[in-house]
Amino acid sequence: MARTEAKKRVGLLAVLSVIGPGIIAASAGNDSGGISTYSVAGARYGYAMLWMMLAMTPSFAIVQEMAGRMGAVTGKGFAALIRERFGLRPTFVAMMLLLTSNAATTVAEFAGIAAAMELFGVSRLVSVPVAALAVWMLVTRGSYRRVEKVLLALSSVFVAYIVAAFLARPDWGVVATSFVTPRIVPTQAFLALAIGLTGTTIAPWMQFLVQSNIVDKGISVKEWALARWDVIVGALSANVVACFIIITTGTVLHPAGIRIEDAGEAARALAPLAGQHAELLFSVGLLSASVLSAAVLPLTASYAICEAFGWEAGLDRSWSEAPAFNGLYTFVIFAAAAYILVPGLDLIAIMLVSQVVNGMMLPFLLIFMMVIVNDRRIMGRHVNSPLNNALAWTTIVVVITLTVVLLGMTAAGIG
Amino acid sequence: MFYLTRMLGKPVVDAAGETIGRISDIAVATGEVFPRVTSLAFLGPGKTPFMLSWRKYVESIDDEKVVLNATKDALRFSYLQPDEILLARDLLNKQIVDTQGMKVVRVNDLKLSESRNQLRLLGAEVGIRGILRGLHPALETFAERVARLFGKTLPENIIAWNYMDLLERDLSQVKLSVTHKRLHELHPADIADVLEQLTPAQRAKVFEHLDNAQAAETISELEDAFQAEVIGDLGTQRASDILEIMDPDDAADIIGDLPYDKAEALLRLMGVNEARAIRSLLGYREKTAGGIMTPEVTCVTEDMTVGEVIEHIRKEASENESLYYIYVVDADGRLEGVVSLRDLVLSEPDTKVADIVTRDVITADVDDDQETVAETMSKYDLLALPVVDETGKLLGIVTVDDALEVLEEESAEDLELATGASREHGPLATAWWLIVRRNAWVALWAVALLAAAAVARSGEACSRLPAACDFLVAAAVLLPIVLRAADEVSSRTITELIDTTPGGERPSFARRLIRESGIGAAVALTAAAVAFLWVEAGGTATGAPAALFALVSALAVLVTVFAGSALGEAALRASDAGKTPPSALLSFAAMLVGSVAYLGLAYALGAWIELG
Repeated sequence: MARTEAKKRVGLLAVLSVIGPGIIAASAGNDSGGISTYSVAGARYGYAMLWMMLAMTPSFAIVQEMAGRMGAVTGKGFAALIRERFGLRPTFVAMMLLLTSNAATTVAEFAGIAAAMELFGVSRLVSVPVAALAVWMLVTRGSYRRVEKVLLALSSVFVAYIVAAFLARPDWGVVATSFVTPRIVPTQAFLALAIGLTGTTIAPWMQFLVQSNIVDKGISVKEWALARWDVIVGALSANVVACFIIITTGTVLHPAGIRIEDAGEAARALAPLAGQHAELLFSVGLLSASVLSAAVLPLTASYAICEAFGWEAGLDRSWSEAPAFNGLYTFVIFAAAAYILVPGLDLIAIMLVSQVVNGMMLPFLLIFMMVIVNDRRIMGRHVNSPLNNALAWTTIVVVITLTVVLLGMTAAGIG
Repeated sequence: MFYLTRMLGKPVVDAAGETIGRISDIAVATGEVFPRVTSLAFLGPGKTPFMLSWRKYVESIDDEKVVLNATKDALRFSYLQPDEILLARDLLNKQIVDTQGMKVVRVNDLKLSESRNQLRLLGAEVGIRGILRGLHPALETFAERVARLFGKTLPENIIAWNYMDLLERDLSQVKLSVTHKRLHELHPADIADVLEQLTPAQRAKVFEHLDNAQAAETISELEDAFQAEVIGDLGTQRASDILEIMDPDDAADIIGDLPYDKAEALLRLMGVNEARAIRSLLGYREKTAGGIMTPEVTCVTEDMTVGEVIEHIRKEASENESLYYIYVVDADGRLEGVVSLRDLVLSEPDTKVADIVTRDVITADVDDDQETVAETMSKYDLLALPVVDETGKLLGIVTVDDALEVLEEESAEDLELATGASREHGPLATAWWLIVRRNAWVALWAVALLAAAAVARSGEACSRLPAACDFLVAAAVLLPIVLRAADEVSSRTITELIDTTPGGERPSFARRLIRESGIGAAVALTAAAVAFLWVEAGGTATGAPAALFALVSALAVLVTVFAGSALGEAALRASDAGKTPPSALLSFAAMLVGSVAYLGLAYALGAWIELG
């Protein structure tokens, strides 16, 4: 009897250990910026943006797979590959793009923390400095690894959206047709949200993260065959949750005409499931997802930049050993937190804008990736298949077009 | 002086003055300390790559171009030789190992110099200057000027060819100069330092070059966190071979960290004796004498002669880690005495062991704390300490290298405790951490000020109880008194934590409290005086309320000091139980209690005055 139980536990552990870098990287992607973007998308446009999610899911999975494959084949991070393939100047540009996009997203994470705590009645003047200090301590004291799993578990309360969606009783027929009927509203707001949706779904930093996770785990080309499924399944499951957030908000908030001006309104989408506790559920999830990402994002940027320029990096390195590494993430954390303290900021708007920034940066980093992943000297026989190339280039072209159109409309004052 | 990044892309001009291509790379011969440039690679029309012998064809080189001594048609192209490396392809932007500084760095530029019509590679530029120059030469000049403004220079960080090891290209086929230091030729401790900076894939490549004995030593020198990982990444057969060579105590440490399946697989591949030795060690708890001992002991019996003992050592015990002491045991393996190598060498071969044995042996119990073991060894200047079980049976010895490691580990833990720094090294790091930790109260103060300001501004609460709000703000402003007192109390506790060994003698809680309350009373009086003056002069309150506020301030200080002492006592207890809390947490908790007490009391006082 005792023996079977022990066996069972081993089985469970084995299952848990499969939940690897891909799934972690992808679920960390459903951060405060993601939650708010999906919520706003559903609340403002109902199911109208669902088709984009369907269109984006293969690109997301493929981009993540490409990043992971580069890591497994070369044993190097994305930043190192950019440096070795393109030289110093393009690397500098790429790192600036990454730093900007990560800093913007970190700002969004602190906005998420502020919004979640304001639901509990805590002023952002208190919550944000405390959170910044806490995140910084988490990172510097190396205890991040220990809390990572807890935060990840807490932030997975967003799976609640799947239940909430069913309880909200949407018209599934309409939902299904929305997935396959492309609709575009020709306004600046819609275009910006579309770019933001791309930016948050295929966030640039996630490619850096997934690749460095593969490299650090020492996954070789041989093991890649298995690990790629982890990456792909992770990407898909993250997007399933994202779709359900849009369905829930589209069913609950959109008909009621709620446009989501603050986190409280976003939380109301969970009312069918949690009733009066919706705010609590939402804020716990938002808070843990934000803290998790607020620790991960500055670190990702710091690691990538140090890797690109050959500076010493690592959480176990002191300030005198690795000044650039420590300085970078410290700067990103505190600068982002300080920005939130500027009086009169609209938190939801910040979260949205950060994702739009992400979306605008994305195609340029993807171009770097495409050149590397198609370079036979680097990838050997593991270069991209034509299908991969077609999908990735489509993503790049579409996002660049959207960005250009949006900038054009803004400049011309249309919409 | 030439820099590769400046040379790339410059035109190649033939003797007729016609531009025939642009420089794409430069090859050097690898055999010398300052390698000679041997070939010029350039891209001709239509990006066709060409390669020329430098010695035969290059007439001159300057900042703008390379001039050849022959016309286009007279050129004979060559191929890359096995002992040549291409600077741009193999070195520029790549990671290399600096085998002098034991660092992994990235090459930003390559510096070349011309002497007697011969271009030679001086070294790889790995510093910030190379990056700036690569981005734009003006940036480098600008940074240099700014540095000079502060009375500093922007140093060039150049690594000479003989101190580089390439990670990308396998140079084992290339004949290198005698002075060239490759990574795998370094001391294992240095190799370990470098390995910790590499990714798993790069680490695996380095291990391919190490023989098993080197690999075993290198792995022993790695930080604990890396050991299991490295062994896990090696093939099972090789991993098992390497573990077999290692000292059993080190091997057991690593195997203990591996997943069960992997550990079993490795043990099964080993020789029977080695596997048994490791298995027996796996049973002991970490951080005890049993956990750090090695079972390889040289044992003899009393009735042997010195000659027999020496013969026994030569035959049976030559591979043991430590040979300085030979232990005398009875038929059941119980420790009876010790003979030093010195005694043996100085005695006649036919002397009985019983005549020279020292029976008064200092031993450690198998469950003794490792720190106690290390301290015993340092106290009695021992090179090895025998470990016995409760029946006196000899189980193994702790050798001096393991004891040193323990002392280092423990002092790092103490330092960590004192500075709040985890895994920080170097004097500068400690100083920096001290500043942060010493000033943690500033952060708390800022938070309290913000909170008080937020309450005061929120209006509703304040319009009802204005006096309470005023006192709250006053208390927030004066909070540093309380915070510093809390910090003081907790830092005294921490000093005590470091000074006393776990379970050692300490003043009782009551005595500590009395001692602290003396200091506490003095601070409280000062606090009262300051608080009284502050609210009087600031116009917040006068007369009786001001005196009451002063009293509250003194009370808050006393509460803080008592709470801090109590927390310290709890911390000491926890430390006795083997779980030492981080010092930052301790002082933070004390500060928090103090702040809450002060702010709460001040607010309550205000509310009480207001409501009568």
